Amino acid sequence: MQIFPLHPFRPQGDIPALRQQVRALVAEHEHRWTPLQRANCWFSFDPEFSRAMGAAGLLGMTWPKQYGGHERTMLERYVVLEELLAAGAPAGLHWIADRQTGALLVRYGTEAQREKYLPGMARGEIYACIGLSEPNSGSDLASVRTFAKKTNEGWLVNGQKVWTSGAHKSHAALTLLRTEEGSERQQGLSQLMIDLDTPGITIRPIIDMTGTHHFNEIFFEDVLLPHDALVGVEGQGWRQVTAELALERSGPERYLSSHVLLVALIDAIGPNPADEIAELIGRLTAEMWTLRQMSMSTAAKLDAGEDPIVEAAIVKDLGNAYEQALPRLVQAATDTDLAGSSALSQLLAYYLLAAPSFSLRGGTPEVLRGIIAKGLGLR
Amino acid sequence: MSENRQLLVEMAEGLFADLATASFEDAAPRLAEAGFATLLIPADQGGFGGDWGDVLAVLRLAGLNAVAAPVAEPIIAHALLAQAGIAAPEGLVTFVAANGRAPFGRHADAVVMVRDGTLSLYANGAFAVEEGASLAGEPSDLIKLAGEPTATAPCAANLDGLGAFARLAQASGAMEAAFTLAIDHVNTRVQFGRTLAKFQAVQQALAEFSEEAAAVDAAAAACAAALDAGDAEFEIAAGKYRLGLAVDRAVPIAHRVHGAIGFTIEYALNRYTRRLMHWRSEFGSDAHWARVLGRKAAGLGGHGLWREVAARTDRLIA
Repeated sequence: MQIFPLHPFRPQGDIPALRQQVRALVAEHEHRWTPLQRANCWFSFDPEFSRAMGAAGLLGMTWPKQYGGHERTMLERYVVLEELLAAGAPAGLHWIADRQTGALLVRYGTEAQREKYLPGMARGEIYACIGLSEPNSGSDLASVRTFAKKTNEGWLVNGQKVWTSGAHKSHAALTLLRTEEGSERQQGLSQLMIDLDTPGITIRPIIDMTGTHHFNEIFFEDVLLPHDALVGVEGQGWRQVTAELALERSGPERYLSSHVLLVALIDAIGPNPADEIAELIGRLTAEMWTLRQMSMSTAAKLDAGEDPIVEAAIVKDLGNAYEQALPRLVQAATDTDLAGSSALSQLLAYYLLAAPSFSLRGGTPEVLRGIIAKGLGLR
Repeated sequence: MSENRQLLVEMAEGLFADLATASFEDAAPRLAEAGFATLLIPADQGGFGGDWGDVLAVLRLAGLNAVAAPVAEPIIAHALLAQAGIAAPEGLVTFVAANGRAPFGRHADAVVMVRDGTLSLYANGAFAVEEGASLAGEPSDLIKLAGEPTATAPCAANLDGLGAFARLAQASGAMEAAFTLAIDHVNTRVQFGRTLAKFQAVQQALAEFSEEAAAVDAAAAACAAALDAGDAEFEIAAGKYRLGLAVDRAVPIAHRVHGAIGFTIEYALNRYTRRLMHWRSEFGSDAHWARVLGRKAAGLGGHGLWREVAARTDRLIA
């Protein structure tokens, strides 16, 4: 059995021109960005850039035009994403809305929900986050307990979400909750689209070990939501979330979110590296290049209507291992001053501390390898 | 898959499965008779008229079956001779790597060598052979020139690069074969009252193995596409280095899950793992290709590297 037959990546349209459009947009805005804002860029925020992306037609690219989308292909969107990541463009504000929430609303949302959220998301003005994890529900997502009780007035929500990236900047949270009293595991779960200015919601920051605020806790105390906050089918939340996570696992961010460190290393070393450094750059380039082939192939398979669960998990696990090794290898092979002010110094210091987070977003290596093993018929 | 490739693959599948445990002496005439050597020769010159995607398909199957005779070497040697306008001699033609070794050199009727932009064809008699063996026990012979070439012509090809691609392609098949053995073994071997496959630690190790096999497959396919686009120096450097990494990570897992059984000469695993370990060194080490690629990347600059990587796949979009 061939585990990874390469699927050709053949997007429609003028791809070099599309790349050029993104590069020009980046060039127009990058004067504002510090090296650290370009690091881990799908978690850093620049509202002006997000609006400019929207105005350029580069958000909601695949959504229907009637909701502000542009009806372009998934693979064109993939090209835009890899260009943003390679340049380290701060895309954190619109990232989740564009990648997951909007796509999910296109697929499962009511007409009213689509009209309410999608045009603003496509303009880069409405931001979303995803409420999944809870204090006692991490990798084992099916154990969520936050409860939405169906009343005559609407859904009455009580409980708590945690590790919610970007909640403090977001307008709404697509949230997985238990809607059937006494239900267990994957049964009785539903998704609600929750406006975060609804009374009874408290958002508190969790500062991570790099000193950055992107995690949050969200507390729900007798939060009353209209009946039409329900997204998709009541009780089908698990299936909907699983489809959403597949989108999350297959993108270019799974190997390119530290690319600016490789860029800084190459620029710091110059065009005539000594053997050992040339070797290091070559190793990193080879891994990045291979991951790109695998990531593009997986995107192309998704686009062709296939469901490459194992491939997506492979790309994420390998990509994550590469990105976690990258700062360690640079640290080991160079005399970079971690307290220094050069771009390389700042980025290396940041990524050494940030790297542990790469294996927690979208599934730990153990979870991903479990998915792969299952796909291989071992469980 | 093109109709021609489908036919080619079916033919190779049947033949290579037949030859899976055959000796060189038994396998070589069958390969010659099948005519793989002309795979890249245009149809109007009497060849198969195939492309590098076809070569990958055939070499992957050769690796999958651990065929103990040269499949890649005659394909590459004949292609370069045809490009150079030199008539190919009868019999087995192999080629000489930069380090002077020729796979199966002792059996060759002629060898091709490329030095300083010149391709030279030496007939048996114009070279002496100092025999050596690969880790898999296959001939890896030093070629000592002892006479004049039969023909020479200008040649821009990087012969070690093409050799590196060939090993990457064969390795993608060998990785699959070793992986399949490992899966079969853990699904049947019972210890502590259950099959090894039921142990999470074993599942995780095999998942890691599958990732490495996947990376080699992807790298090989991307290299073939680049070769068909006309220039694959970048891709081959990256792909051959990535193969080294995959061998480094996957071969120990293959042996670990097999225990002592996998360490015997009788059990099939070593036919793949010994070849994989040898191919890692052949036609340029990890360090060699990493330096080649690293210099290229450094020359392009940080952003230039990304632009090059993107442009190299954009050229494949018709």
